[in-house]
Amino acid sequence: MSSIPWPFPKSGIALSLKSAAGRRVRRWARKRQGVDPSITRLRPGRVYILPTGVGLVYALMTFAMLLGSMNYNNNLSFVLTFILAGLGFVSMHQCQRNLVGLELSFAGVEPVFAGQPAKFRVAITNHSKNARHSIGLSTQFSASDVQDLSPGESRIFTLSVATTGRGWISLERFSIRTLFPFELFRSWAWLHMDLRGLVYPHPADHAPPPPPTQTAHGHRQHDARGEEDFAGLRKYHEGDSPRHVAWKAYARTGQLLSKQFAGADTSSQWFDFEAVPTDDTELRLSILTRWIIEADRTSEDYGLRLSGREFPPSHGESHRQRCLEALAVFELAEN
Amino acid sequence: MARARGTDGSLLGSLPWTLAACVFSVAPHVQFLPVWISTAFLFCGAWRYLIERRRRPLPSTWLRILLALACFLGVLSTYSTISGVGPGSALLTIMAALKLLETRARRDQFVLLFIAIFLVMSSLLREQYLWSLPYLLAAVFLIMTAWLRVSAVATQPTRRSFATGGRLVLYAAPLAIAMWILFPRIATPFWAVPMDTGTATSGLSDSMSPGDISSLSLSNAVAFRATFEDNIPEQRDRYWRGLVLTIFNGRTWTSNDPFAGPRVHEQVAPIGDPVAYQITLEPTRQQWVFALDMPWSWTLPRTFMGPQQQLARARPIDQRISYDAMSYLNYRTDVDLTDYARSWYARVPEQSNTRTQALAREMRASAASDAAYIQAVLSKFHEEEYFYTLGPPPLGSNPVDRFLFDTRRGFCEHYASAFAILMRAAGIPARVVLGYQGGEMNPVGGHMIVRQSDAHAWNEVWLDGIGWYRVDPTAAVAPDRIESGVSGSLLDGAGLAWGLSASAAFLHRLTMTWDAMNAKWNEWVLGYGPENQKRFMEWIGMDDPGWRKMMLTLIAVVAALLVMISGLLALRYRSPKTDRAAILYKRFVNKAGIELRTGETPVVFARRAASESPFPAELIDEITSTYLNARYGPADPIAMRRLESAVAAVHRQ
Repeated sequence: MSSIPWPFPKSGIALSLKSAAGRRVRRWARKRQGVDPSITRLRPGRVYILPTGVGLVYALMTFAMLLGSMNYNNNLSFVLTFILAGLGFVSMHQCQRNLVGLELSFAGVEPVFAGQPAKFRVAITNHSKNARHSIGLSTQFSASDVQDLSPGESRIFTLSVATTGRGWISLERFSIRTLFPFELFRSWAWLHMDLRGLVYPHPADHAPPPPPTQTAHGHRQHDARGEEDFAGLRKYHEGDSPRHVAWKAYARTGQLLSKQFAGADTSSQWFDFEAVPTDDTELRLSILTRWIIEADRTSEDYGLRLSGREFPPSHGESHRQRCLEALAVFELAEN
Repeated sequence: MARARGTDGSLLGSLPWTLAACVFSVAPHVQFLPVWISTAFLFCGAWRYLIERRRRPLPSTWLRILLALACFLGVLSTYSTISGVGPGSALLTIMAALKLLETRARRDQFVLLFIAIFLVMSSLLREQYLWSLPYLLAAVFLIMTAWLRVSAVATQPTRRSFATGGRLVLYAAPLAIAMWILFPRIATPFWAVPMDTGTATSGLSDSMSPGDISSLSLSNAVAFRATFEDNIPEQRDRYWRGLVLTIFNGRTWTSNDPFAGPRVHEQVAPIGDPVAYQITLEPTRQQWVFALDMPWSWTLPRTFMGPQQQLARARPIDQRISYDAMSYLNYRTDVDLTDYARSWYARVPEQSNTRTQALAREMRASAASDAAYIQAVLSKFHEEEYFYTLGPPPLGSNPVDRFLFDTRRGFCEHYASAFAILMRAAGIPARVVLGYQGGEMNPVGGHMIVRQSDAHAWNEVWLDGIGWYRVDPTAAVAPDRIESGVSGSLLDGAGLAWGLSASAAFLHRLTMTWDAMNAKWNEWVLGYGPENQKRFMEWIGMDDPGWRKMMLTLIAVVAALLVMISGLLALRYRSPKTDRAAILYKRFVNKAGIELRTGETPVVFARRAASESPFPAELIDEITSTYLNARYGPADPIAMRRLESAVAAVHRQ
């Protein structure tokens, strides 16, 4: 089971202290907030706020201007100073309110092959009648695009999480953050939705050729010509190509039927875990993955035989997914 | 080091606004800056913009270092110092120009905006006018909008940044006003204030050299404004006493350094009723304090009457100040002159202006008394061919001789100087008083305006038994100067005098209104110091306002305002309570008879409802998609209507 690798402190005591403090705070927040449902509305109490570096410089400048105004007893520079101070205060409230009330909902994550980044998608909805500005999501290692949300608008934000090995990848925590309006303050909220995504094994780069098909012809089964060898109709199964659906029959009978083509059954091949010519389990899974990808690319039927599980030969997107998922979680402890 | 890459044009959304903010904040400095600095700034701004526009690389590091060094040396050689408002603003402008050339990242622009804020601040330190407030508000608005542009997403329309900037400034306004009113003002500065505005003082100078400068400034600038309690003195009595010149070196009159003399009532014996008034004095950068001749009391701290009955403050007046004063128009000076002092006040350099000295001895010999002699001199000015003019010829090395016997043209300084020499040469102690004479009432504001062009010089002579006695020789030459002010006294002064035509009267009224607005502005905004603040606090009902009390009130008011602003923002971002789409969808869910699980999205629910509810899948899909459209999509009345009819169809089933 792989999850986000925890960072090692880069260097220096200050950094490690900082990250330790950060860990503590995040653990505290997690304990305080609990696990969030997959649709979460941000309450004011969980939106945190701190000044940024620019904000600190701004505060310092305003203070220097206050001293200057007092010294010169200059009432107009007092006006300037106090407007800037007022804007600072206002921007603090504005920054926090920019997040409060937003609704975040998990919008899915596509399975990826190990090594590719998993893209967690989160929809953020602005229910209010006014726009929200410069909203972004981030994890510890990556950040989504920063976007504005018009009144009533819902937008998808994508968080990339690097993957190393197959299995389940989990995103225990991410944060929604904003620097709006002046980047003087950063306000954020932590979300613990315990999101999970599936990581298929990395397809082997140098895979041996797949075992020969049972008919041993080795030529492509479903070229344009092959489809002319119509063999009959069978009940539609999920995953059948829409190109093979007998639409005319559907119009007549209202029943979904798939066309069957001659030779489709005879050319099916079996990918057997035990038959992969290596001892390394992970490498076997990688090679199987590569075979499945190749077979799927050429729309051949293939079956997968793992120790204890068997997927009879078939083709199509859902078959591919089932097979790859089985490879991904093969011999992993029950999540 | 990597070669400079070309810019990617990503700053095009914000750079123009940053540039505009910088230009706007530099603008009030331009008239004080050396031309090369303004030019360099504009050049760098245009250059940087073109670089971004054409995706060119930024200038190389060594070029920037070279430019920075050259500019810094340039400022140093122009100003020979780097402290003070003048060199400070020059340096800030140069810094902005150079920073522009190395602005690569979006956030580098924050530095530019910080510089812009400091430039606005230093322009306020330099000068404060009525228009300075709108200027600074516009500057803040522009700078903060640019700030928003820098931090906003690149696609945000400018209109929206302006709206946000305006909204936030509006929110900040009540906070700023509360802080401005309540923040305790202190009287004394923390550190010495270097006031180098670069402009020459427009007030009176410390010395007088008639004939050196051959024309008098007719500046209309306000010297001070005076508000009288009840009766306003006649024009001829409006002698505003300033400094007293006692030392003459043949060309130039100078004064003693100011120091405190005996107390007022030991120097002056008042006669008749006093006149009470308030003066708002524009900064002079000198120590002299002006008051009607002869001041009796005043409310300015650390201000003393010197031994020549001149008022001076311990510190130069580098800000506008206002003070209450009381004067006696009739008085006697109550001081004795020792023999030494008598000879000191009658001292004339023997080698200079010998003809004048000879004339004085001659005229004094033929006069019966000192008083008769004074009368004879005034008659000479009045009856012989002497002219009052503001543009007299220059006088050369023996100015009094040349003036009295040759040119015979001059203004108050020439007559005062000549008169004093004539007195001194005859053994009568005499001195010159510099100040203002006259003043114009502003009917709109009810105050008197005394302008720089009202500057005047007159004499005081010592008469036994009377003391110092005011004599104004200019009045003998040009009585109009004293009776109706400087513009009425000039033959060629028709253009200066206000005509009687309607448009001129309207213009006059406009000028007076503007002046009255300025006076109020000066008093209540620019002059809102410890005194005014205390008065205002008492007026709004705070007893015994001290800084502690004001500070606590300030904190309370700001906190209350922040709570209000927070509430306003919460209201702004609230979700609509009655969400029609949600209500309709809820109705459908209830009718379907299946419970909506926590966290279940409508799409998932639809799949379940298709199998578990009695409704056809098409209808469920229709409701789900129109609901999602109506609730989350852009405002679309059609989606809402379709949802309504679909839910109605469910209810019919």
